[in-house]
This record gives sequence, C-alpha cells and structure tokens, in this order.
Amino acid sequence: MVLFGFGGLIYVSVLLINAVAILSEDRFLARIGWTSAAAEPGFGGQRDDASVKARLVQFISSVRTLMRIPLMFINTILIVYLIILG
Amino acid sequence: MQRQAYNQPPAHSPPLHHPVPQHVSTVPQLRSPPPPQPPSQPQSGYGYAGQQGVPAQGGGGYGSTMQPPFGNFMNDPAAQMGLQFGRSAMDAGQHYMEQNLGRYVSVSALKHYFNVSNSYVVSKLSIVLFPWWHKPWSRQQRLSNNGQDGYYLPPREDVNSPDMYIPMMAIVTYILLSTLLAGLRGAFHPELLGYTATLALVVLALELAIIKLGTFLLNITSSSQLLDLIAYSGYKFVGVIISLLLSELLAHLGIGGSWVSWVVFLYVFSANAFFLLRSLRYVLLPDQGQGGVGGSAAGYTVARSQRNKRTQFLFVYSYVVQFGFMLWLSRV
Repeated sequence: MVLFGFGGLIYVSVLLINAVAILSEDRFLARIGWTSAAAEPGFGGQRDDASVKARLVQFISSVRTLMRIPLMFINTILIVYLIILG
Repeated sequence: MQRQAYNQPPAHSPPLHHPVPQHVSTVPQLRSPPPPQPPSQPQSGYGYAGQQGVPAQGGGGYGSTMQPPFGNFMNDPAAQMGLQFGRSAMDAGQHYMEQNLGRYVSVSALKHYFNVSNSYVVSKLSIVLFPWWHKPWSRQQRLSNNGQDGYYLPPREDVNSPDMYIPMMAIVTYILLSTLLAGLRGAFHPELLGYTATLALVVLALELAIIKLGTFLLNITSSSQLLDLIAYSGYKFVGVIISLLLSELLAHLGIGGSWVSWVVFLYVFSANAFFLLRSLRYVLLPDQGQGGVGGSAAGYTVARSQRNKRTQFLFVYSYVVQFGFMLWLSRV
C-alpha cells in the first residue's frame, strides 16, 4: 500500500524541488550572491566557471528553469490526489 | 490408431512414429538437423521439422491427440494453417519486442555485463569481501580490430571489470533474506517484500544521484557508463547479506551480545569501502590512471585544489555515504 513505499519518497522529493523552484532570484539569491551574474569577471575576463560554487549556482538555476512547468502539473496531480484520498 | 481419413503412410516411412521433440528450442533461430526422412516427404514436413521457433505446445498437442506416422500430420490443412499462424505470430511478437525494447535498454551493453563465468564470480566475491588481497585494480582494455580506440574487456576475462550478475543476484537475495528474517521474527506481512524492494531501489537511485551530482559539481569528465555505477553500488548488497546472515546465525548460536553483529557489520562496511575506493578511483579521478578510454584529453591538467577536492569527495563517498546506506539496509 501507499505505492509500495514510494509514496513518502515522491512526496518528500516533490516538496524539495518545489522549495528550490520558488526561491526568488532577485530578492534572495542576489543577496547571498548565488546568481550567475554575480561572478564578476576575473583577472583577464575569464569567468570562474569550474569552481564548485559556480557549478552549484548553475545547477540551481537550471533546475529552476527546467522544473517550473512540470512542477505545476505534478503539484496539481498531487493536490487532487490528496483531496480525493485524504 | 490411424483414422481412415488420412492417406496411407508412404512405403518407406521411418520406423519412429512420434513427432520430433521440440524441447531444445532455447534459441529461436537455431535449426536442428532434420530428422531422417524419406525423400518422398512433402516439403512442408521438412520445414516443420527444421523450424525451432514454433512453440512446444503445437508439437505436444499434436502428439497427444493422435498417433499417425510423422508425415501424415502435414497433410492436414487446418493444422498447417494453425502452424503458419503460430509461426508468424511468434515472429511478429519477437520483432515488436526487439524494436521497442532496444529503444529503451541497450541489450548488447547489458549482455556485456552478464558475460561472466564461474571463476569470475568466485574471485569477484572474494575481492569484495577481502579487498586487500587483490593487487592490480585497473581494468584492462583491448584495442578493437577496426581501429577505434579500445573498449573494456568483458567480466569473463578481466576480474576488475564490474558485472551486473552479482549485484542483481545480491539484491534479490537481500530482499528475500530480509523478508525471511522478518518472518522468523514473526513480523512478516506480504507488503514487506515490496517495501524491501523499494528500499533497495531507492538506495541504488540515491547513490547514483550522489555520484552524478558529484561528477557534475566537481567537473569530472569521465567516460564511465551508467551501468558501471549501478554495478558498483550493487556490490554492497553482498556485504549486507553476509552481515545479516552472520549476525542472525551468531545470535541463534548464542555467541556474544549485540556487539558481535556490530563487529561483523563494521568489517563488511570497511571491506566494501576499500573496494569502492579502489574501484571508483578510476571513475572519479580519471587523470590518475594511465589515460582513460577516450576520457581525458591529452595534456588535461587539473589544478591541485581540484584534485584534493575530488579525492575528498571520493573518500567521503566511499566511507560516510556507504556507512549510512549500509546501516539503513541492515536495519531489518
């Protein structure tokens, strides 16, 4: 039952992805300096592209861009599911 | 006995009157040598005897209903039509399967991973459980004949090559064993099988996600396959099985308290961590090997801090992450 134990896992992962997706880019991330424009050009115009932080920033922004629209559908389905089945 | 509706058997029909046994049809395209037939047999009889793709029910059903000599079966048009239909249905089904399955799962790559031998399995298990006895850890490659750069040897010829046979067997055994142990404790319910299977799959998926995330964040360009990583994750189930078995046995025999199972678990965990450390070194730190298979370009230099970070990641992954996962799997 509960989808063989997948249910809780799906729930938690959808919540986490939602959390990443709704981070406001200009109000929150810019304050910490985690946007892609924040990395000022280094010593010769070479952007620091390969450090862990830069890749993490890239990763977060790509997750946001990719998952915006599918998340809407997944959230709708989950809401309907939870309303019907309590 | 023979019904009068059939023709007379040919004068020199073979002495055996039962149909050719169809039980060796493991490979559908294999053609068995035709049974000794007199040359006066009709052509369709030869085609029937040579075809191995027909399911065995056709031959069996025929054999149980009537006892005419072998040749007379082919003269019955209804049976012939049924045969043709069955044959074409089988071919169509096979074709459909090959087409669709080949799109999602590359079967030839999977075959490489299941190309194991008995001696390989035994030596690989001993490597997983006692990894410090093993000396050379690098996978062997061989340049293929048509000039493209080399590919890895299959597990049958190279002990260091990861396979999927052991991990698959280990996962299934783990599921059954943990359910069995739960049953021995009196806490069995049928959904437990599904829960344990989900647990194993979740652990695999999480490990894969961690490795993929690590390679992305640390900018590691390695040419390792997905199935390789799944195989490496699956080897820990061997250790978990051993740990569960030994702790249960020793608890039954009454030797020692709960610290015995902890000792066994810690040994198995450290063996697995060492094994992963050595094996994943060639996946996560590709520039330290002798030049990977098409992975690192010539002259690819990595900064010192990067190397340190990657080594740290490897250590953290092999020890901390594995500890967490094995502990989680061992809580039955």
